Amino acid sequence: MEELNCETVFTIPVFGGIGVSESTVVTWIIMAALTVLAIVLVRNLKVENPGKIQLALESAIGWAQDFFDGVMGVRGRAYIPYLITVMLYLAVSNLIGLAGFKPPTKDLNVTAGLALMSIILIEGSGYRAKGFKGKLKSFAEPVPIVLPINILEIFIKPVSLCMRLFGNILGSFVVMELIKVIVPVLVPIPFSCYFDIFDGLIQAYVFVFLTALFIGEAVE
Amino acid sequence: MSTLIAIGAGIAVLTGIGAGIGIGIATSKAVDAIARQPEAEGKIRTTLILGCALAEATAIYGFVIALLCIFFLK
Repeated sequence: MEELNCETVFTIPVFGGIGVSESTVVTWIIMAALTVLAIVLVRNLKVENPGKIQLALESAIGWAQDFFDGVMGVRGRAYIPYLITVMLYLAVSNLIGLAGFKPPTKDLNVTAGLALMSIILIEGSGYRAKGFKGKLKSFAEPVPIVLPINILEIFIKPVSLCMRLFGNILGSFVVMELIKVIVPVLVPIPFSCYFDIFDGLIQAYVFVFLTALFIGEAVE
Repeated sequence: MSTLIAIGAGIAVLTGIGAGIGIGIATSKAVDAIARQPEAEGKIRTTLILGCALAEATAIYGFVIALLCIFFLK
């Protein structure tokens, strides 16, 4: 049972002690790795005779941009870099269980933070695209009777985003731990392929896809 | 008390029924669609995976509620 909780790794001794939990430390490690990769991989980019790494990067970024363009349309183009960043972070943090760390997305606080960032971006993009009045009017669309539902959606969207990611990662973690307790040898491998790799990547994809869908809805 | 908590968690996990039925229907329709139009397989697969992930969310809510029951109702 103690695997389920996120322990406090150390405490910063100011303001009566701020606890730094395990998920934060793992997030720092992911941040460092991604930053180093981002610096190393974009060195020596050239227009003529691009290398293999550059071609791979370009096709990956091109795929992501096409994907988000298809979901959000031209108006949402400004939000693509943020969404790609979140997608990379989620993909790495869902897969990091393979490297022996605890996935940070198994902590409810991390997914709640991500969902909060998403809903602020969604609502903010609506205000930016439509103006203050237009956005307020859009709450009463298509008919004024849906106004309470539209207001309720502001709270439902982040809760569902947060719970979906958290529940999926925690659920697959629990199932994997149970399988490892019952049969520790050889049997967990195919299950690990599904629960750790496939499920984690799908959830990263779904999270950014839904955020992009809501942004596209808000800016249109 | 702990038996009641266990029963409650079990009832919460029953939400899985809905997700199971939903994903089953979605998959059967997807198989139908692929059998009719094998060239559209890629598009159908992405849509199916997305739909399954969304349908699965209801089961996940039940699972989260069950976990909350077990951890916080001692």
